[in-house]
Amino acid sequence: MKVTFKIWRQENRNTKGAIKEYKVDGLTEDMSFLEALDHLNELLVLKNEKVIAYEYDCREGICGQCGVFINGRAHGPHDNITTCQLHMRSFKDGDTIVVEPWRAASFPVLKDLIVDRSAFDRIMEQGGYITAKTGTAPEANAILIPKEVSDSAMDVAACIGCGACAATCKNASAALFASAKINHLNNLPQGHPEAHKRVQEMTYQMELEGFGSCSFTGACEVECPEGISITNIAEMYAKYTKAKLFG
Amino acid sequence: MAANKLVFRKTIIAGTGLFLCLFLIVHLSANWILLLPEETARELYNSYATTLRENLFIKSISYILYAFIVLHVIYALLITIHNRKAKPQKYVVNHFLQNSTWTSQNMGLIGTMILLFIVVHLANFWARVKLGMGEIIELDATGNLDVYKVTFSLFHNIYYVIFYTVLMIPLGLHLNHGLKSAFKTLGFYHKKGLRISAKVSLIYAVIISIGFGVIPFFVYLK
Amino acid sequence: MKLDSKIPEGRLEDKWRNYQIKAQLINPANKKKLNVIVVGSGLSGAGAAATLAELGYDVQCFCYQDSARRAHSVAAQGGINAAKNYQHDGDSVWRMFYDTLKGGDFRSREANTYRLAELSAPLIDHFVQQGVPFAREYGGVLVNRSFGGVQVQRTFYARGQTGQQLLLAAYSQLYKMIRAKKVKMFPRSEMIDLVVIDGKAKGIIVRDLVTGELKRYVADAIVLATGGYSRVFRLSTLAIGCNGSAIWKAHKRGAFFAAPSFTQIHPTALPQTSEAQSKLTLMSESLRNDGRIWVPKKKEDIRKANDIPEKERDYYLERRYPSFGNLAPRDIASRAAKERIDAGYGVGRLKNAVYLDFRHAIDKLGIQTIKDRYENLFGMYKKITGIDAYKEPMQISPAAHFSMGGLWVDYELMTTIPGLYAVGECNFSDHGANRLGANSLLQASIDGYFILPNTINNYLAGALEEDIPTTDHIEFEKAEKEVRVIIDRVLNINGTKTVDHFHRELGKVMWQECAMSRNKKGLEKAILQIKTLKDEFWSDVKVTGSGNELNTELEKALRLADFMEMGILMCTDALEREESCGAHFREEFQTEDGEAVRVDENYSYVSAWEYDEGDFKLHKEELEFEFVQPSVRSYK
Repeated sequence: MKVTFKIWRQENRNTKGAIKEYKVDGLTEDMSFLEALDHLNELLVLKNEKVIAYEYDCREGICGQCGVFINGRAHGPHDNITTCQLHMRSFKDGDTIVVEPWRAASFPVLKDLIVDRSAFDRIMEQGGYITAKTGTAPEANAILIPKEVSDSAMDVAACIGCGACAATCKNASAALFASAKINHLNNLPQGHPEAHKRVQEMTYQMELEGFGSCSFTGACEVECPEGISITNIAEMYAKYTKAKLFG
Repeated sequence: MAANKLVFRKTIIAGTGLFLCLFLIVHLSANWILLLPEETARELYNSYATTLRENLFIKSISYILYAFIVLHVIYALLITIHNRKAKPQKYVVNHFLQNSTWTSQNMGLIGTMILLFIVVHLANFWARVKLGMGEIIELDATGNLDVYKVTFSLFHNIYYVIFYTVLMIPLGLHLNHGLKSAFKTLGFYHKKGLRISAKVSLIYAVIISIGFGVIPFFVYLK
Repeated sequence: MKLDSKIPEGRLEDKWRNYQIKAQLINPANKKKLNVIVVGSGLSGAGAAATLAELGYDVQCFCYQDSARRAHSVAAQGGINAAKNYQHDGDSVWRMFYDTLKGGDFRSREANTYRLAELSAPLIDHFVQQGVPFAREYGGVLVNRSFGGVQVQRTFYARGQTGQQLLLAAYSQLYKMIRAKKVKMFPRSEMIDLVVIDGKAKGIIVRDLVTGELKRYVADAIVLATGGYSRVFRLSTLAIGCNGSAIWKAHKRGAFFAAPSFTQIHPTALPQTSEAQSKLTLMSESLRNDGRIWVPKKKEDIRKANDIPEKERDYYLERRYPSFGNLAPRDIASRAAKERIDAGYGVGRLKNAVYLDFRHAIDKLGIQTIKDRYENLFGMYKKITGIDAYKEPMQISPAAHFSMGGLWVDYELMTTIPGLYAVGECNFSDHGANRLGANSLLQASIDGYFILPNTINNYLAGALEEDIPTTDHIEFEKAEKEVRVIIDRVLNINGTKTVDHFHRELGKVMWQECAMSRNKKGLEKAILQIKTLKDEFWSDVKVTGSGNELNTELEKALRLADFMEMGILMCTDALEREESCGAHFREEFQTEDGEAVRVDENYSYVSAWEYDEGDFKLHKEELEFEFVQPSVRSYK
């Protein structure tokens, strides 16, 4: 299998980048997309060129590190998957594949396809936790949580923090990410004591980080590898309003 | 804790938007008078117009309406500027139609078209009727300003007919996405309810845009 | 040097309590003056960093990923064991302890293993409090399932993403302490060397992976929480970035490496399909509850699976282990698969897989039941392979999965270098020669949250009186210089082969000779092969780019250089242990029908290797079984 990659190359944060073209032969349909890039990198090394920098770690769809924009879609042409789960069989022999880093002011490019997503960590820092020290926990079954509540918390807790939501959003909004964490914790009884504070502080941090606002295009939920629903953003707004009124 | 600018602005846009949606219902139901035969329509329409101008309550509502339009536009503008800054660099290739609708991606553009429409619309009617600009408007048999005649003559200009009709398309698109999003922005997150609200928004948008859109043609053919 | 495991006095049940009673305390005002470095931000690292910070220490935490939330704890699917006995099915701390010890084939310490079981119950309390959405009954209480061939239901889980949920809980607790300014987080920072001053661990050299800058950090104590090293096989279920460099550097600076060859091979991963493959994805072990494993009876059978009639299929696990059948423990199932594949019965493109067939289960239970149980796994299988497993059998294959071995630690989790601790998968403590399913999340968490924060005081109390060195100290200079030399050397070879090429070659040797079954001849050959490969690497590798920039190729090269040395030690260890126990199977030590033969008289010890200028010196920590009698594992 032979494809043409058009890949964003950028030396570092302070330099300008550009798309560069690479013709690659010798790929197979079974290869994952990242393995195809690995293969390209080996060819580059042998040609004495610098390798393309891109991120990955677990390569099984859970760590959230491997996000790139492939042919005009976050994580490539399929809905609800990560880049590492994309395989070359999704492309045709002779295809041109355009690969770009996540684009958002809050995700500056560090090199080639690698961006800095630490803004997400800083949002988490502002309340994406339950304030309780190790060793202070009551007996686990002393806190009864209805299955529906626990299940719906799990639906959002599944967020892998890949950044596809903000990357695909035309406004670079991090609302889906923030809402996932806020709703996970605020809907559980353990998270209630800090619920109002959490929603206010985390949404405020989202603003400070320079993310845009949500205009409900719905693109995020289509690209989210965990299929987190956009209704979570509405729920976050409800919680925010409630916090403002009663918090 | 300072109010979140992003949420605050969106709330203003959603709140004013919902009010404008209500207004459109009232506006449309009155405008349907124009679909009646001329003899009934003229009198009814003119007296309705007079009531709008002179009733104190309606007058004060109208100021709120102006204010809301202005707020809606200003905040939309602010948000758009902010959002542009949040995404300074666009993708070389972006197949956003595979994950969202064209409308949802272009609310700003559509909104601008509607704003253009409103300006023209106000120049055509509000400026003449309320500010007395342009040709002097005659009185009808009952002594009301003959706004019907203003409308009638405007919609016998084929360019205006086309303008008024065609711009109902962006209005419909804007209302469809705007209404259902307003519910979400205001914190309505019941899943089944949101499915219903999406349907309601669609029906509403179709009725409003077609409802307004047919009027110029009807009048033209009268 | 005599290895002192520092096991406290008393009955098994009292040991941990006795330890705590005698442990030193440090007053809160003094804790503020003490500084701890934690390398790794997975479940054990983040748990340790957060808890130490809560206790008042100043913590600096490092990880190579872009965020602490990426650590590979995130990928554990199955669950976490705890002796809560919520299901009222006769579970107890003792039973869990015994299962774990027996599962590890009696090659771990009784006291450590007992403590693991003992602390499991409060750990679940802890995670529930932190907001982990564990599976629940309609009535609101927690659910359990059974896992990994034990007879009770003691596994807690959050869908198929338990590791993720626990890691995120630890990560959020870590960020809580970052906000409180008690932890300073350094992502994209890789520990490149350990600095030992006057025999004590005092600092680390870190490479900033964005700028390439080498940085020095000093502390009163250093905690390594760097995870497993199974990427030495290249193809494994681990994350691509997982590496053994931090513990290897610690080893070279004096920390003993215990049982390096104890590596768990998981039986149900997806097979390799091409040379370019980088990763073997794990399919949850739970599939073996309903799937039947088979290979064709005819060698090199090229028919499609569904075209092979029932009587021409060999359900080899059911044949060999009639009582456990398809649910035989991981090491046994993996070995049996390898045996069939090596004998020429493998299936799939590279003839390296066996079938895992759900047809019988679907016929018996209906497709809906199977969907309810495994829909996400079947979906994942289809995503990766493009095959619909409802219609044809899955192809699975064994893959390297977990390192039971690691830095030798005593009961306090301290290595042989004073002030250097190892927690989680990177140490050798509780699993013996084989780890039970759903025990890895448990060990990582308990080490980080409960044990280390209680034991580190004993050392730090002494550190209070000492002056903390500055980063200008000669040892820092020396260490940094050595690192610089290595980096320059790698970059200047400018040979003809890529890093991945060498990694693939290393992987092949390790997989062939030092994985599921081992023999003397093969291991001796492997050691020579790796040594040759190592020489070739240092003369013919090509790494482009420079050291002063983000250079992923350089990162890979440095990690691989350590893996090659580690591979030699793993083979050396496997060669030295002339018995079969747990995951370590020496072909010379098996019964007539292929079962493992343990040699307790000679090998009831933990091997602890000391680095000796490119060679390794063996120390033995004899295992004394005071409370249980080692028995023979049988799954017939």
